[in-house]
Amino acid sequence: MGDFSRFLIRTSAFLSKEIYEILRQPRLILSLVVGPFLILLLFGIGYRNEARALRTIFVVENESRLAEQIQEFAGSLGEQLIFEGVTPDQEGALERLRRGEVDLVAVAPPDAYETIRNNEQATFTLLHNEIDPFQADYVQYFGQIYVGEVNRRVLRTIAEEGQENTVPAGDNATAARTSATGMREALERGDVQEAQRQQRQLDRDLDALELSVGASAGLLAGVQETLGSGSEETIRGRISTVRQATTDMEEIEEGQESYDEEAQRAAEIETELGALESELGEFNQIDSQVIVSPFRSEAQSVAEIQPELSQYFAPSVIVLLLQHLAVTFAALSIVREVRQGSMELFRVSPISAGETLLGKYLSYLLFGAVVAIILTLLIHFGLGVPMLGSWVNYAAVIAALLFTSLGYGFFISTIVDTDSQAVQYAMILLLTSVFFSGFFLGLETLWEPVRVVSWSLPATYSILLLQDIMLRGTAGTPLYLAGLVGLGAALYLLSWILLRRKMAHA
Amino acid sequence: MATESLLQTMQLQAAPPDNIVIHAQGLTKQFGDQIAVQDVSFQIPQGSIFGFIGPSGSGKTTTVRLLAGIVEPTAGEMRVLGTSPMKFTQSTRERIGYMPQLFVLYPELTVWENMNFAASLYGMGFRRGTRLNELLDFVELGEHKGKLGRDLSGGMQRRLSLASTLVHDPDLLFLDEPTAGIDPVLRRKLWDHFDALQNQGRTIFVTTQYVGEAAYCDFVGVMAEGRLLMVETPEGLRRRAYGGEVVDLTLKERISFERHLQPLRQLPFVENGKVVRTGENSVRLIVDEASTAMLELIAWGKAQNIEVEAIEEFLPPFDDVFVEIVKREPSNG
Repeated sequence: MGDFSRFLIRTSAFLSKEIYEILRQPRLILSLVVGPFLILLLFGIGYRNEARALRTIFVVENESRLAEQIQEFAGSLGEQLIFEGVTPDQEGALERLRRGEVDLVAVAPPDAYETIRNNEQATFTLLHNEIDPFQADYVQYFGQIYVGEVNRRVLRTIAEEGQENTVPAGDNATAARTSATGMREALERGDVQEAQRQQRQLDRDLDALELSVGASAGLLAGVQETLGSGSEETIRGRISTVRQATTDMEEIEEGQESYDEEAQRAAEIETELGALESELGEFNQIDSQVIVSPFRSEAQSVAEIQPELSQYFAPSVIVLLLQHLAVTFAALSIVREVRQGSMELFRVSPISAGETLLGKYLSYLLFGAVVAIILTLLIHFGLGVPMLGSWVNYAAVIAALLFTSLGYGFFISTIVDTDSQAVQYAMILLLTSVFFSGFFLGLETLWEPVRVVSWSLPATYSILLLQDIMLRGTAGTPLYLAGLVGLGAALYLLSWILLRRKMAHA
Repeated sequence: MATESLLQTMQLQAAPPDNIVIHAQGLTKQFGDQIAVQDVSFQIPQGSIFGFIGPSGSGKTTTVRLLAGIVEPTAGEMRVLGTSPMKFTQSTRERIGYMPQLFVLYPELTVWENMNFAASLYGMGFRRGTRLNELLDFVELGEHKGKLGRDLSGGMQRRLSLASTLVHDPDLLFLDEPTAGIDPVLRRKLWDHFDALQNQGRTIFVTTQYVGEAAYCDFVGVMAEGRLLMVETPEGLRRRAYGGEVVDLTLKERISFERHLQPLRQLPFVENGKVVRTGENSVRLIVDEASTAMLELIAWGKAQNIEVEAIEEFLPPFDDVFVEIVKREPSNG
């Protein structure tokens, strides 16, 4: 038999041995494959992607008008605010907070009107009892959202009042336009006296219009100036134009040969007032909500699908499970041979470190591939996680992930002395992956030098690649795959060197 | 007795150098401050069974591990199959079989799977079924092929280890206590198989705590406290233990000091006057050579008109021999 045949046979020794050993431990298989799937399933069923609702009690001074308004607003501010009432007793509210009966105490600003009149913002103080920094941030964010909502409601009230004022302004604009029409018609007939009367009436109507437009015209002008095209005239501008035109007409005199020029001006005034009348009508029709919040956002994804949270996390979970499985099995593998004494047999037998390592790699790759197939089928058909990309790309990433993870495992296995040390190192790697691989926290949230840790983890590359393949339908970044395989090759080499030393003489 | 002088006394010295399978000279292994093997020297010719006996912790296993290339010596020189164990090639290793003292096969694998694994380690072709079956039948595990390693008794595990060691039909076998925990009948059978292997030209280096098994060996090395006290043939071992061969003499009359003991002690073939009374009518003598001494004793009886009832060579059990040797050479011989 040739040397190569012997090499193949020696390498294959581990192929069946490792698989048999694993298969003889059905509980292990269950805990490694079915267990994680059930965890993912439970997570998918149980996780609610909703902001936390905070039980909120408001502290407002007695006799403050705010109490009434809070009572009115609080119940309708949103689902995340569970209104627990209004009280003037701040200490009592804090005691309830400490006892965990409420989540938030919102202390309304005393003398809010005085504060605002003094050109200062009145502050709602939000007291909470959170020690979790994320929850503390959430309370801060919650406060901003809800104070913003309160501010909008106040503005809306002001805007509604402004709109109510535009109703008489509209009537006055209609009256002014009617006078302008009467004046034009009188001039066209040559009825000077009637034209003069209508002109005087128009002056009076414009005075009334200016007075009635008031603040509401300013509000609309503000909206128009900030958001409009810039070419349109404001209400005040139109009134001013009409006023100028009537002034320019001066007093209509009798005995002129022709009144065509005056009639033309009257027609222009009539047109201008018609436009003003129309704008005031439009302004009145605008919802006050639109005036105070003219913009809203509506996010639309250009991605092919918008996966649910559990679907989004599914590739990451598969990656972490396979990495942990490969690392743990490999980490225990060599140290167990040493502890059990089998390494002595290897040292005496013709099998080399390279053949031993290759045999173990192949057996665990095979086992990992079977687990990966089962997990993939479960999440694809069981949880409905989509596969938009190519199965070939998916298989390539899984193979690279297993290869690199096994490298870590064998590296661990060659440097530890006991099984428990191997398991501890595997757990440390898992923990590192949870925090640094982008599983929960995006890589962009990490300080750049720390990302070195991320890029030394197989999970980091694999999560990015699998998300692209499964959920975006792309092939993923080739550089990531190259990085993953490169890392795996380096670990293979390192493990081989260390195993050679271990299999040499003691 | 110093190891070097032992070497000189060995009959093996006459063997031609190319017939020497194992050569150890001044072999020493130290683990930290503890000396496991100290200045051990011996040679083993091809086709012999070399038994290594000694109490637990005497350095037998360390010596085996040194020779198998598992541990590196602190000092000394050794050659196994013409090569330093530190430089064994794959082809050299294919000629060696090693059975460790403990069960190091896999408890989660069946007997058959363990055998297959061992065969694969040595690159045996996949048409190995007949060979594996033969070996399993030989160690009486043929009916337990499907049993898991963890479900085997201690003795069965030893037999499985032995079968795994023999699987590739090695030229040189290192067997570290292969018969420990095995019943006497199977032990005897195993030794018969070792004899058969020896007849095929195989060399067997075997350690044992069953001192009686020394009788099956061609040469026996006695280890104590890391030192090799002596290397002898089994007969030589007895001689060394008692200072000669042992003859039991029974007379038809009651033994007296003046008529019997004193004259016997003065006989020239009696070693150092060693005659001990063992009964009313019987004495035990240490003689230079039992066969000639017995004839001489019959002649002495006739000459002294003393009727001899029985005379025979006594072969003391090796357990007693071993105890005698250790007693005589308490520290390092």
